[in-house]
Amino acid sequence: MSQADYNPLPVSPAVDHSGENEKYHVFVNLALVLAAITGVELVLVYLPFNKAFIFTVLVSLSMFKFVAVIAWFMHLIYDKLMLTLAFGTGLVIAAGTYTALLFLFSTDYVAPHEIPGIIPPGM
Amino acid sequence: MSDTATAHHEDGHKSLIIDNKKLLMWLFLGSDCMFFGTLISTHLIYRKINPTEIDPTVNLFSLELTSFSTFILLMSSFLMALAVSAMHKGQIKSFRRNVIGVIFFGLIFLGCQVYEFTEFVHLGLKLDTGTFGSTFYLMTGTHGVHVAIGIFWLICMYFYSYTGKMDAHESAVDVEVAGLYWHFVDIVWIIIFTVVYLIEFIGK
Repeated sequence: MSQADYNPLPVSPAVDHSGENEKYHVFVNLALVLAAITGVELVLVYLPFNKAFIFTVLVSLSMFKFVAVIAWFMHLIYDKLMLTLAFGTGLVIAAGTYTALLFLFSTDYVAPHEIPGIIPPGM
Repeated sequence: MSDTATAHHEDGHKSLIIDNKKLLMWLFLGSDCMFFGTLISTHLIYRKINPTEIDPTVNLFSLELTSFSTFILLMSSFLMALAVSAMHKGQIKSFRRNVIGVIFFGLIFLGCQVYEFTEFVHLGLKLDTGTFGSTFYLMTGTHGVHVAIGIFWLICMYFYSYTGKMDAHESAVDVEVAGLYWHFVDIVWIIIFTVVYLIEFIGK
């Protein structure tokens, strides 16, 4: 085995790692919260509540998990605004694509047989 | 010239104080968002216009298995964040421990996906089984390929750490970029888990 197996990497003694130590606690807490939310989501779908209510809660929890991972695990809140914009642009276009498709393929305007892959009943 | 400006002059691959590798990765992830956005949209749109094609909640989706996969992927993200943090502190042994954990969890996730796909095929859901089969396998399969690429990338990094060529700053950025990719794979699954699996079970 080489020396590199045992020795830490050379870092300047002037580097302050207190920020990294604080992040450790944030990461642990966030991991616990994310695991708990996943458990709640699993239980929630079996509860006899109103469908719209469960749908709203599930989407909200999912959005929270999504934003939390981006903000803390991916360090976006610690990084420059330009990185948020770079990623946000893609995200907005993706959301826009879904919204546009939802309207374009709305069954109110398009008959099922006009949609590729859909075989109407009786054919 | 100020110290900051001099530092930027010396470090030619930096622009606007953001590391180019990180900026490129974020731009790539933005474009990958559009890619997965279209895959997920296609699945949801076909599900909406053809809701009676198949009911995946009956003898098909196993919510317990998928929740377990989600939990595993979330925990791998946690370990990846710790690996990046360890690299920033120059703690190579801690970095290796965490990366091995990420690789292990990633392989468990892939194993669960392979098991799930095998079960589905036995139950009659194939790639050519209507629009549901096509869009479902394309979307989750593409995600699985992303996970596999991430695992391969991390295995390469793990072995590279034994060459002794890693240095605290440059390698920390490289690990952070790999970490961004891995976290992205995680957030895509968070969306797929909710909109493809959980929502199907509401009111069942």
